Order: sequence, then C-alpha cells, then structure tokens
Amino acid sequence: MNLAHRVLPGPDKRVQLMATCLCDAFYDDVARATVEVLEYLGCAVEFPEGQTCCGQPAFNGGDWPASRKVVRHTLQTFAGDVPVIVPSGSCAAMLFHGAPLEFEKEVDLPAVQQLADRTWELADFIVNGLGVTTWPGRFDATIALHRACHTRGTKTCDSAIALLNSIPGIKVVPVGEVEQCCGFGGTFSVSFPNISSSMGELKLEHIRAAKPDLLVSPDMSCMMHLSGLAQKEGHPIKTMHVAQVLRDALKNGKLL
Amino acid sequence: MSTDRETILSHVRSALAPLPQRAALPDWEAELVIMRQARGNVDTWPLFAERLRGVNGTPLTAVADLVTLLEKGGWRHGYCDPVLWPKLAPAFPATFKVETVFDRTRVDDFQFGITRATGAIAETGTLVLTDAGTSGRLAALAPWVHVAVLSRADICVDVPQAVAALPRDPNVIWVTGPSKTADVEGILIEGVHGPGVQVALLLD
Amino acid sequence: MATQRIDQFAKDLRADTKAAVYDGSKKGHEKRTSVLFDHLPDANRLRVLAGEIKQHVVENLDTYLPQVEAALQANGVKVHWAATAEAANEAVLSIMRARGATKIVKAKTMVSEETELAHFLEKNGVECLETDLGEFIVQIAHDHPSHIVKPIIHKNRREIATLFEQNGLGAYNDDPETITRRARQHLRGKYLAADVGLTGANFVSAESGRLVIVTNEGNSRFCLAATKCHIAMVGIEKLLPRDRDLGLFLNLLARSATAQQLTVYTEFVSGPKAAAQPDGPEEMHVILVDNGRTTVLESDCREILRCIRCGACLNVCPVYRQASGHAYRSVYPGPVGAVLSPLLAGERFPELADLPKASSLCGACNEVCPVNIPIPDLLLRLRAKGKREKAPLAAVGSPPMGAWALLASQPTAWKAALFGGKLMNYLPTKLLPIPALRAWEAKRTLPAWRGGEFRAWLKNRPKK
Repeated sequence: MNLAHRVLPGPDKRVQLMATCLCDAFYDDVARATVEVLEYLGCAVEFPEGQTCCGQPAFNGGDWPASRKVVRHTLQTFAGDVPVIVPSGSCAAMLFHGAPLEFEKEVDLPAVQQLADRTWELADFIVNGLGVTTWPGRFDATIALHRACHTRGTKTCDSAIALLNSIPGIKVVPVGEVEQCCGFGGTFSVSFPNISSSMGELKLEHIRAAKPDLLVSPDMSCMMHLSGLAQKEGHPIKTMHVAQVLRDALKNGKLL
Repeated sequence: MSTDRETILSHVRSALAPLPQRAALPDWEAELVIMRQARGNVDTWPLFAERLRGVNGTPLTAVADLVTLLEKGGWRHGYCDPVLWPKLAPAFPATFKVETVFDRTRVDDFQFGITRATGAIAETGTLVLTDAGTSGRLAALAPWVHVAVLSRADICVDVPQAVAALPRDPNVIWVTGPSKTADVEGILIEGVHGPGVQVALLLD
Repeated sequence: MATQRIDQFAKDLRADTKAAVYDGSKKGHEKRTSVLFDHLPDANRLRVLAGEIKQHVVENLDTYLPQVEAALQANGVKVHWAATAEAANEAVLSIMRARGATKIVKAKTMVSEETELAHFLEKNGVECLETDLGEFIVQIAHDHPSHIVKPIIHKNRREIATLFEQNGLGAYNDDPETITRRARQHLRGKYLAADVGLTGANFVSAESGRLVIVTNEGNSRFCLAATKCHIAMVGIEKLLPRDRDLGLFLNLLARSATAQQLTVYTEFVSGPKAAAQPDGPEEMHVILVDNGRTTVLESDCREILRCIRCGACLNVCPVYRQASGHAYRSVYPGPVGAVLSPLLAGERFPELADLPKASSLCGACNEVCPVNIPIPDLLLRLRAKGKREKAPLAAVGSPPMGAWALLASQPTAWKAALFGGKLMNYLPTKLLPIPALRAWEAKRTLPAWRGGEFRAWLKNRPKK
C-alpha cells in the first residue's frame, strides 16, 4: 500500500470525521472519544451529516456496483480537501485501497483517489499527521493490542503502541500468534460461521493467556466479534477502542 | 490446424496485447542475499564446516578420520572413484573392500561411495557435484554414506557466487547435508532415497 | 441460513486431522520467519524484488517462451508444447511408447497432479510410481495431497503404518524412521527397474535453459541417476529471466517452503547426461504446459502466475488451518489455490466460485509470499467475477447488498434506520427472519443498538 502521499492538516487543523457505520449503530462512544481526542489536539472537526458507510460490505461480498454506489455517495458527502479521519483500520483501508481498486475502470477514479489521499486512520493521523508521539494523562491497566488485519502495511499499530506505551500507568503485553486473524472478516463471519468462530476462539485463548485487563483495538469490528464470542460462552472480556483509552487518559489526568 | 505451440503462443500474445506497458525487469545487488555472517573476509573452510555440521553433515580433513568414521559405522564395503583411490588406499586397512567400479545390479552391496566434488558453498555448507567431476551419479547417491572429496580452492563463499560459477556441465547438483524428509508428522528423518550420512573430506 | 461448503467441511473435519494440519502449518510458519529474518539483512525487500522479477516474466512470456525453447534445444533437449492436460499426458505417453518404455518413476510435480498423469498412464498400461515419500503414501492410499509441499500433512503415523501393512510393506509399525526405511528399500528397486524418470521444474532459466529441481529426499535425483530418459513437465510460467536471478530465488524458495537455507538437493539440469557419465538420461524432454495458464494470463488476476509453489501462504492461513487442504476440492488449496484453482478451471469457474469467499481477507498470505502476490486483492476480484456471473456457490451465505446500498446512499433513510434499529433492543432478535442475524447470534451476542446516539450528542453538546 502506498500511503506516502497523504494530505497533511493545514495550520487551522480542519478535518472531517467519518464515524463509520458500526460506530453510528453500536459504538457511539468511540465516535465521541474520537471527536474529543481530535479537539484536544486542536483540530476543528466537521461531521458531514450525510455520511453513511464506506462501502466495504458490498465490496468484500463482490457486489462492486452496489459498493460503488455507496462510495459515490461518500465522495459527495466528504467533498473538500482536508484530511478525513476514520476511527477504523478497515474503513480507512477501504477508502485508500479498496475503493481505488473497484474504481480502476471507472471515469470517476480521480475523485476516488483524491479522497483516498486525504484518508487517515486515527492513530496514524495523530502520530504521523499531527506529529504527536507521546500521550499525557493516566490510565492504569495492562493492555493487549489487537492488531486488526486491515492495518497491515500501514503505520496504525506502531502508532497506537507508541501512544499507549507513553501513557503513565499503561503496560502493553504481547499476545501469541499475533499475525492470526480474529475471524471477523465482515460477511465472512456469517457465511463461514464455524471457521470464523474457531478463529475467534483461538484468538481469545491467546489473549487470555497474556492476562490483560483490557483488549484494545483500532477497529471495533474485531472487538464486536471477539467480545460477542466471549460473552456468548459466558466469559466476557473488556474491549475498548484506542480513541477511548486516549480520551479516558486525558480525563483521568484532568486534561479533559 | 495449429499446433499446441502455435495455440499457446497466440493465446499468450492476445492475453498480453491489452497491457499498456509491460512490467520492467528490476536489477538487484547480490549483497541483498548474502547471509549476515558470510560477509567480509571469510575463511571458507571453517565456515563451510560449521554450516555443514549445522545440517548434520560431517566435515573431515584427514583420510584417517574417514576410515575411523567408516569403521565405527560398520561400513566396510564401498566404492571409490578410481582417480581418487590411489591417494586414499594407503589409509584403508585390509578389512575394507573398496571397489572402483559401481555395479548397479548390486546397489545395496555398497555401504559407502567416495566421489569428487568440484566445489562447495561456505555459507550454506553445500557440496557441488557435476557430471564431469562425479564418476557416477548413483555411486554418490545410493550408498548410505557419501564422501565428497574437495579442495580448499574450490570453495566459494555464497550462493550468488556459486550461481555465477555454475560450470558448463549438463548436470550440476548442490548437496546440502544428508537426504531427509519430514513427511511423517513433520518428524525429521535422515536417509530417505539418498545418503543418510554426508561427509565432506578436504584433501589439498 | 445455508453456509458455505468449505465451512461445513471444516466443521466435519476429524479432530486429529485438524490438529495435524494446524500443528504442521504453524510450525512451518514459525520456522520460516526465523530463517528468513535472522539470516538475511532485508528479507521483505527480497520478496518485493522477486515479485517484480516474476511479474516481468509473466508480462513478457511472449518473449521468454520462444527464448527458453531455443536455449533448451541448444542444450540437446526436445521441447514439446501442451495446451491442455490431455495433450500433456499424451506427450508423456508417446515419448514412452517411442522408447517401448512401460515403467516410469516420478518426482513431485504439481502440474502432473493437474493433469492426473499417473492415473492416465496406469489406464494406458504404464506403471507410474510416485517417489516422493508423501506422494507415494498418497498414491497407495488412493488419496489426494492436501498441501502443495507437505502432501500428507493431514495424515498421522498410525494411518500410514496401516497403509503400509495393507500394501505388503511389512507388519504394522508406526515408527516414522521405520516407515521411511521401508519406503527407501521398496522404491530403490523401482528406480533401478524404471525406463523413464519424470520431474517438474521449480525454475527454468530463459537465459541458459537450465532447469532447477529441488528436493530434500533425493528422489528426483534418483530418477535422473537411475533411468535413461528424463521428461520434465513444466508450467509455462515457471521461467526466470537470467541465471543470476537464481541466486535470489534459491534464497527465498527453501526458506519460505521448509525453513531451510537450501533444500538438500538443488539440481541444475541443462540436458542429457555428459557422454562420459555412466549414469543418467541419454535423452531429455521438456513439456511446456498451458492447461489454463493463458486464461489466467488474460484475466485481471495474472499476478497469481508469479507463484513459486512454496506453500508459505498455506502455512500461515487461518482458514486453511481450520479447513485443511481437501476442503478446496482442487489441486491447489489454501490462499494460492483460492485464486488459481477457480481460474485454471476456465469455463468451469462456477464449480469453484466459492473458494475466493473462504477468506477473512486478513492479508497474512501476502505478507509471507516470497513473490509478493497481492492475494487479497485477487480474491476480491474473483468475488466480483462470481457475483457478475451469478455463480450460485459464491452467493451461498452472502447477505444481499442491493437494498443496503440503497439505504447507504440515502442519508434520510439511513438516519431513520439508525433510529428505527433501536427496536432490536426490545425484540427477540434470534427469532427475526434475517439469516445473517441468526447466523451471527448462533455463535455471538449482539451489542446494544445505539443508532442516532452519537449524532444526537454532537448536535446537543454545548457550543464552544
């Protein structure tokens, strides 16, 4: 993935927020924490009201015409030239990798590429867009970071780890077989439910062996799958998004 | 009616025709594939010996040591390249039966085979055999013990060097340790179709 | 809701088979990582380079194929071309008939699995014996390999011991060393009695016409030491531009496949044996096989032709580990198979259109691929193809996206749905006739629906 040429924030630090459909439906606090964190860093956050979804579900399912319809709507909604911040590795990857792929034969590819070049996953943006490499406040917990698969080839997880490691009170513990997928995979989770849940159970085993207080991820989709599995089997786990940890650290340090 | 050759080539051409341009051939520096430890001034025999031991091969520097090894294994009947035998014979006691013709109808009679290696690769512990240098492919392959005789000057340092040095021989084979398989439950077993003991004897 | 066949296969897989496949794959992956990154200064750069070199070959096959043919012929090799599996098998048979040969020993080559060569030859009165230990066991078991490098990763020693006993190879003994020694003894005689030795080729240099054949067992070497005629079946994409590129690829292949610096035997074959050499083939043939490769070349997934058959993608794939190779119902399993098999099937693509769906698109395969094939992107392209062509196998278990796309391009409707979804918190969702929802809730709980909450917070928070 070539992420070298992304649009940096201007001096006014204006950004647009794509909350993601998952946060819109289930995880409002993650979207809220994202806003709070970005505003703490001095960004002027615009939330284009017409936003819906990045188009990934249909893209992954092979229905590219349906996906393109949704992406076109997204292009309109996010018209402009400021960075677009996404608290999700997979939605961000959809915009900067998936969409250009499904638009490669379309006349509006340039518009898709323009949006791709403005798209940042949150942790990556904080460290590499805003140049913030340490995080203040306090958060007392042993944390395992789930390396969501769609962050492969990006700086997201390294950025997240750098920030988390710098927060007083946090200890990040390694997890075994870290390259193995949690098994969510979007619609894969319902069309291959046995394999998906077996993969999830293996992941939970490794996580539990590391004995963290909390599982943190740049992607809520993985967390929805893993916490759903864990809860169903009667041994729930605590999950949070990176944004929520960063926000809570500020609150604990009375900086927010 | 076109031949298969014409059919295939015309399919290839029509498949590639729409490409606006063809992917270029990149160049690359041999440096990239040289193992970390094989850099700088390398004393080839000690590195070779270390790597050979790493793949369960046996490096030796004296014929007497070879004889000891063969006696210890109970391997007293074998084959030797007739060009090598005069040099090696004095060290072999009368209890050994060494033939200088490999008879493939009695393949299991030969417990060891001694042939010449034309080269070696230090960084991997590899022996280089060729048709020109090997008095018989079967003699080097079929017996339980294979002894490859080599000289220090023929050892090159790394894989790119060895590729550059591939001689004009219809058959060059790189041999890195005894034959093996892990097909049964991933358990490593040595001595499958080829030798179970691979010796490199340095004789200058 | 109907679930995908591969998922069902995984569910029904015997526990001991699954354990064998899982452990074998995991070990293979872990060792690969250490042997590549401990030894070489920049292993990831090598993968990218090797990918570029292979892509160059694939996109210039119109130049390299005639070039390699000329180089082979200059070396005294007879070159045959086979557009189809049938043509490839017939070419082998006619070489044998011309020699009056009735016994052939063969080393492992995936192309021959594609063409079902052994079966064809047996039907035509030729004794065709597999010599790779794993393939030999597969042959006597009338089974199929389940991994491209480790054919019997799915079998345990007890099964093999029983098989040997049933095939006259001694009383039941499940010690791996004993099993191996028995195979050694049995096959030794077969090599020496055979007329023809058949191999594949891992690489062919277009510059010198050298074939490179790698094994650990020494079986292909034995084929070329014991017999008088060598036939090599080679896929048309197995070429490399120059001899020097072998330095790169030989450093990647064994490390990726079996976590070795080099396999025990790396053989460079330029032609029939030297005149003075007592052992080996006096005649050498190379059969350049298409069998669907030009169809792949024509498609938008031609990057898959870079594949050097190392199996690293299988070893790391979480889906392969759960399902095992046989779940893929084709010669090539795992991530590479999920792309290659449906494409090689040509018009029969619909029969394998579900293979590209058997992936969470995690990308681990691309990360380990020594030629940097963007497998997830190719899987996505094939999913689009499956949808366009309305392949039923691809559609199984996939929620329809038309209505969703409509909703997601109409903000008013979307916001209404966000609000309306709150009903779900009060309904017994397990009873709702939405297949995807049911499938989800069979294994996992659903989080509380909080549609509209974020937007309300944004709207209602005190202005600064």
